[in-house]
Amino acid sequence: MADVIAVPQVRPVQPALQFLRVIPGILLLAAVGYAGKLLEQNVGAYAKAHHWVFPNIEYVLWAILLGLLISNTVGVPEIFRSGVATYEFWLKAGIVLLGSRFLLGDILKLGGISLGLVAIEITGAIAFMTLLGRLFHLKPKLTTLLAVGSAVCGVSAIIATKGAIDADDEDSSFSIAAILALGALALFTFPLIGHVLHLSDRAYGLWAGLAVDNTAEATAAGALYSDAASKLAVLVKSTRNAMIGFVVLAYAIYWASQGQAKAVGNKAAFLWQKFPRFVLGFLFISVLATYHFFTKDQVGALANLSRWAFLLTFAGVGLRTNFREMRKQGLRPFAVGAIGEVVIAVFTLGLVVGAEKLFGF
Amino acid sequence: MSATENAVTTTKKWILSLDTWAVVAAFVAALLIRVGVFKHVPW
Repeated sequence: MADVIAVPQVRPVQPALQFLRVIPGILLLAAVGYAGKLLEQNVGAYAKAHHWVFPNIEYVLWAILLGLLISNTVGVPEIFRSGVATYEFWLKAGIVLLGSRFLLGDILKLGGISLGLVAIEITGAIAFMTLLGRLFHLKPKLTTLLAVGSAVCGVSAIIATKGAIDADDEDSSFSIAAILALGALALFTFPLIGHVLHLSDRAYGLWAGLAVDNTAEATAAGALYSDAASKLAVLVKSTRNAMIGFVVLAYAIYWASQGQAKAVGNKAAFLWQKFPRFVLGFLFISVLATYHFFTKDQVGALANLSRWAFLLTFAGVGLRTNFREMRKQGLRPFAVGAIGEVVIAVFTLGLVVGAEKLFGF
Repeated sequence: MSATENAVTTTKKWILSLDTWAVVAAFVAALLIRVGVFKHVPW
């Protein structure tokens, strides 16, 4: 009898169909984001007209709050989900376009400082999270995922590492849930702490970029403080993102040496595969802006386009955060993540304050 | 190589990461602004 080989059915997804599937969710992102923008403009004016004391809440926070409200009350219906998931796409496109507002000299100066701080942050965060994972008796691969998620760049790093070290789906779900829940908390606590400590825009931007794990949350946490802080938070976070390949490679080699993951063949190809392309796109646009490829008006148009892309991102951050789902993932990984995040936040705050005094930026 | 494998390989060649699509979309938008198709983007 001939062997029967089960060939998985490859169902080619029609690009047109795929495009149609994301439309409702993108419209929802746009509607929530735009509602946030309208609320920013109108609530403040209404409160002023009626002599109410009401804090000026920016569109960033309104968009996130509206998204959170929908996600945690009526929920996001299935028809919108694939479109809502495109918020990562808008985030990365927005970061590339934001490159037009950076001159290469600024990137080299701030990038140099942030690269040093990022290296210290990554080393410290990985060491501390590993220690914490051992203390709480978490599975070693779960500890690795939490360490990478909090040291480098949240969900993307966890997904990249999961594949490289053959971690369980359950472990990666735990880590992603913990990192997302803590990212949501950081959105509300970081700006508050920044204002209480009277941090400068630069110091706060550096801190948010260093300590907030997910790129979307780091961008939002920066934008909640000020425009200047947002720019710097994106730059520092992108520097952290650029490190993803090196950290994942190191873990892949470690787990392969333990016989618990596939060996890495071509290391250069591995690094290139994991390198975030949007960082290159961001640098390329900033090179073009530095050499006056765009006029002043065009840079303004690119910056506004970047803001629109971020508006959709912030709406997506709220819409994809469901606290009930996160609670289901269990307390221990969350506790490890929470303790780790608090320590990393305090550690990076010390680093930033020290660097500000040392370099006087 | 079987027909199925061929089909899979051909399909895979065209799959770009979300990252790359985002960069392509941003570059196209920047180019359209540069050549003057979009002169002003309001906020």
